[in-house]
This record gives sequence, structure tokens and C-alpha cells, in this order.
Amino acid sequence: MLVKYEFLKILRKKSTLVIMLASLLITAVFFALPIIQYQTYNQDGVLRGLEGIKYDKEQYESISVPLTNEYVTKAIDEVKQLFENPDNIGYDGQEQFLVDDAYWNDIAYRESLLNMIAANFAEPNVTVGYNHLLSVDTSNGADFYQARQDKIEKIVNTSSRELSESAKEYWLNMNSKVETPLPYGYFEGWEVIISCFELLIFPLLAICIILCPVFSGEYQAGTDAVVLSSKYGKTKLTTAKTIASLLFGLLAFTLHIIVGFAIPLAAYGIDGWNLPLQINGTAVPYPLTFLEGTLINLGVVYLVLIAMIGLTLFLSSKMKTPYFVLIVVIPVLFIPMFLSPNGTAGIYNLLIFLTPYQSLTPNFAQYITYPFGSVILDSFTMNAVVYALLALILLPLAGIGFKKHQVE
Amino acid sequence: MELQLQNLSKRYGTKYAVDDVNACLTPGIYGLLGANGAGKTTLMRMICGVLKPTSGTISLNGKKIEALGEQYYDHLGYMPQDFGFYPDFTAREFMLYMAAVKGLSKNKGKKRTDSLLHMVNLSDVADKKIKSFSGGMKQRLGIAQAELNSPSILILDEPTAGLDPKERVRFRNLISDLSKEKIVILSTHIVSDVSYIADTILMMKDGRFILQKPMATVTDGIQGKVWELFTDERTVEEYSRRFAVVNLHHENNSVRLRIISNTAPSADAKTVPPSLEDLFLYHFGEDAQVERSEI
Repeated sequence: MLVKYEFLKILRKKSTLVIMLASLLITAVFFALPIIQYQTYNQDGVLRGLEGIKYDKEQYESISVPLTNEYVTKAIDEVKQLFENPDNIGYDGQEQFLVDDAYWNDIAYRESLLNMIAANFAEPNVTVGYNHLLSVDTSNGADFYQARQDKIEKIVNTSSRELSESAKEYWLNMNSKVETPLPYGYFEGWEVIISCFELLIFPLLAICIILCPVFSGEYQAGTDAVVLSSKYGKTKLTTAKTIASLLFGLLAFTLHIIVGFAIPLAAYGIDGWNLPLQINGTAVPYPLTFLEGTLINLGVVYLVLIAMIGLTLFLSSKMKTPYFVLIVVIPVLFIPMFLSPNGTAGIYNLLIFLTPYQSLTPNFAQYITYPFGSVILDSFTMNAVVYALLALILLPLAGIGFKKHQVE
Repeated sequence: MELQLQNLSKRYGTKYAVDDVNACLTPGIYGLLGANGAGKTTLMRMICGVLKPTSGTISLNGKKIEALGEQYYDHLGYMPQDFGFYPDFTAREFMLYMAAVKGLSKNKGKKRTDSLLHMVNLSDVADKKIKSFSGGMKQRLGIAQAELNSPSILILDEPTAGLDPKERVRFRNLISDLSKEKIVILSTHIVSDVSYIADTILMMKDGRFILQKPMATVTDGIQGKVWELFTDERTVEEYSRRFAVVNLHHENNSVRLRIISNTAPSADAKTVPPSLEDLFLYHFGEDAQVERSEI
């Protein structure tokens, strides 16, 4: 009963409706931008938006295959053969590339795949194109998976990462669970979703703004004296306010997720949900599909949301007006947007990766490691633990803050 | 039922808003009088458990209110001064919400809401949003919510502030009706609000109770100190400067003055029976002058 009324109090405000609509619109626009701006090319010119997406998706039909070493070797050899004919080669002053029919008939439809294969044989953190395949030795057949293993070992042994032996073992052990050969296919919708996770900072802010007055609004309106002197004012009402806020926050956020995710999935289709993350970057050590990776990050994002609701409620219980709450919440959410990590090691970087904004973004291939003695936590686990703890601390503290509020 | 205030104090920095207040309250209407800033609201907030005393205790039937917790609040009905509403709620929704916060069942909450809205004459506007209500309607809704749980202790802080004279009379009658078998503490700086309905007068000044007396004998202390005299207009200013002039009335070519003074203000001044208003002015002197326009 009390939860229902507290929920109604949140919903009834005009500001709730306005903020929610604005936030939904922003989310929809941001998630739709990659579709609106999408463009691809064929021999006839540029294809934009849904037409371009449809065209590219059709190209994938012939390359949705398991990436066996034999398949990879054959693909590399085909590229090499094309480069053997000087008529097929263009040069921009820095590197060679294929032109005309050689490009349009043999490369264009599978350029993403070839780029991914080329990157697998390249040094870590070096961006290469399909022309890098010329340097891959296929005389005894290309060993795609050994190259991948070598690359990951190089990554974990990079001195700047400052990984301990147990951390290296942790990542290599995780990587060993990646099943091979990797099945390839179309995954554009999931790639857009994963790259757009950071945009969820806007609905997160919107929800925090709406929840700022949950406790402080009572102080500001002068209703605190009446409710706190009532039988359940310091007991069940506090719990009801917290539950109603969480309920609103979770429902509102889920609505944003549905709107945000539905747009790319409607445009690109759900294809690729069961494909491994490695086909978008072979250095990813997580043995997860795109759907699993998305859901795991979503789980972390929900924990961030609950903790931020906890922070908002805690501040709301302590501050006299909702505006003071906002003055704290907005910088907490937005200042980290302007703090860029300069690596993956060191306290500064590890703390930056724990900020709400950075925690929204999945770091599948960054090998971010939080060592606690022999216990190694990756960024997903660490974020989940930190935000779950924050929620467990802040939500009860918010209740205590309201119970102890003095009407002065 | 006995509500005891023992050595109750509230200090802000070095200033005592309430200073060592002691009282034992049993059922009846208590008129808590004092100038603005006397400490009435602070005292009421402490009694209602929404402000922690710096020292001292409040007990109900011998048990400290902190220990009683929900049990104590179940006895309590509070209408704070200038208390707010949820503007987007209707009167009925607000009452049902408060009924839930006060622990009433859904059915009982509905019944009490209907009956109390009827009692305060708000049935016709029960489904209108509170933001459309006048000050008087809000005050009536305020007392209705305080009565929801049929409290045995009813605390009303300046309930008539902002009401017109007709509404104030109506309000007084309402409080009188509700007061049976209850401890009602009615705080005001408007003397006439309590002079008709209070059983006991509690007078506060600088955070202390300076007077706790039954209404029937409350003015005994200033018996023989209230004077009336006739003078001309030229000397009114002189009298006003020297004495606390409670009332001034022009009659033909002279002016009738009502003065509070320990000694006769003039040779032809006559003593008259004192009223509660006289007592108030006697105790608050210059502070009270500020309030006279509202009396």
C-alpha cells in the first residue's frame, strides 16, 4: 500500500513525465544514429541507412562459416593471388590496396572478415587492413589459432600492463575456454548495442534527477514533520520509499533498454546473438557469445543503476532540497566522461575504470585486472562487486538518514 | 494518560530555543501561548518526536517516547505550522496516503477519510488536487489528517494562521469537538484562539514556561493591574510611550484607553477585570506589541 503511494508520488509529478520523455527521446536518437548514418558502398555507389544494412547483411550469407585454419589459409591465399596481378593494385603513397573488380568482386563482401584475420596476425594494438595478409606465411598453412594464442600471450606479457603471474594465468586460463574454430557471421546489431552502452549514462542521470526529491522533497515541501510523526513514518515508510524508488528506477531503465536495444535489433536483426565475441576482435579472452557478453554487461549496468539510486536516495535523505542532491549527482556521473585512462594498470586507471560512466562500457579486450593477493578480478566482476557493495551500503544509509532527520 | 516533559531543552549553538521545560499533561485542551520565537514550535516538534532534545525526556505514561517508538506515534496526531502537501495529490489521495503511513487498514482508512473530510467540510472537493485549495481548505485538511488515527495526543501548531475570522471560529469549534478525552496542545500567538476553548494556558517566553495555569484562574496574577481611563487625543501618545496600551477607543471627543500597569497610570484610572489578552500583553510587553494587530 505504502509502496503504491510512494510510486504514485514519483509518477504523478509533471517533471517525471517530462524528464522521462526527454530521456527516452535522447536514447532513441542516440541508438538510431548508427542506423541513420550507416553507409556502405558497392560498384554503383553509396547505399545508406536500412538499404545499406540490408545490402551488407546479404553479403554475409556466403561468409557465415566456421573459421577453420583451412578456410583462413584459403582466404589469405586468395588475397595474395589478387595482389600478384599489378592491374589489381592501387597505391596511396603509403600502402598497397586492391582496386576495381579485384576489390569489388573478391574483397568488398568480406572485407570485415579479412580485416579481422589480418588483425589476428598483426602485433597487439596495431591497426591493419586486409593488405597485411600479404605478410602472413601460408607455405605450411596459416595457423590462425596459434597466431591468436601468441597475440594474447604477447598482450598479457606486455610490461606496461603490470600483470602478475597469477593474473596472466587467469587470463590465459579464461582464453583457453574459447571454443574453436570460431563460427563467423553477421553481428552488426550486437556490435552497435555493445558500442552504445555508454549512452545509458543519460537514462541513468534522468532516473537520478527524478529520484532526487524522494526524501529531500519531503523536507522542502514541509511534509516531513507530518510523515515522520506518523506511526510508520520512520519505519515502513522509509522502506516503501526505497522500494518504490528502486521499482521506478528499474522499470524506467528497462524501458530505456527496450527502446535503445530494439532500434538496432529491428534494423540489423538479431543475427549474431550466438556468435562468439572473438569474431569482432580475436584478442577478446572472454568465452562468451554476443548475447552473453551483452547480458553480463547489462547485469553490471543494472548494479551501477541500483548503486546510483542508492547514492541519490542517501543524498536526498541528507540534503534539504533536491537541488543540492543534483549538485553532487551530476558531477559524479559526468566528470568521469572527461577522465581518460592512460593505460590499464595503476591505481589511477583502475579507479577510472570503476567510475559509473566507465563501468557502463564493456571492456572485453582490455585485460583490466584487479588483483587482491591471489584473487584476480576482471573489470566486470570488480564493477559488479563494487556497485553491489555500494548499493548494500547506501540504500540502508538513505533510510537511516530519513529516520534521523530533524525537522528544524 | 499522562504526557510528561522533564527538564526538556533544545539548544542551537549557545541559544536555548527551549530551556528546561517541565510539565505533566493530562487530557484537556492546552493553549500554548507565546510571541514568535518563544520556542513553541520547537517544543511541539520535540513532543512529536521529529526533533531530538538537547537534554531532558518526554514520557508517555512513564515510558520514554524513544522506547515506545511506533506505539507512541500511534497515539499522536500532529498538524505542524506551515506544513506542506503533495500538490499533485487530491485531498482524498492525501488522506488515504496519510492513513497508510499511520498504519490504518485500507478499509478503515477509507472510512476515516470520508468521515473526516465530511467533518471538515471538504467532501465536495475531496477529488480535487490540493494545489487548487485555499489556505483555509488546506488548514482544514491539515486537521483532518491529524485526526485520522483518532489520536489521544493532538498537537496543533498555529492551526489558525492565515485564516479569516469566520474560519477561525469554525476551526475553534472543530478543535473543541475533537478534544474529548485527549491531550490537545494548541499553539498560537493569537490569544482569542485559545481563550474560548483552552482548559489550561501554558505561556512560553525565551524557551521557558513562564506560566501554567487553568484558564479559570489564569488572569488572577494581574488582577488589579488592568486599568481604563479617558483622556484627550493629545495625551494618547504620552500614555502609549509610558504604558502598555492594550486598547484604544475614540468616544466623542475623548479616547478610552486600556492600560496594563502595576500602578495606576493616572489618578482617575479605574481597574477593570483582566482578560487573557491583557495577561499576554502584560508578560510579553514590547514583543507582544508586534502581535497586537493580529489579536
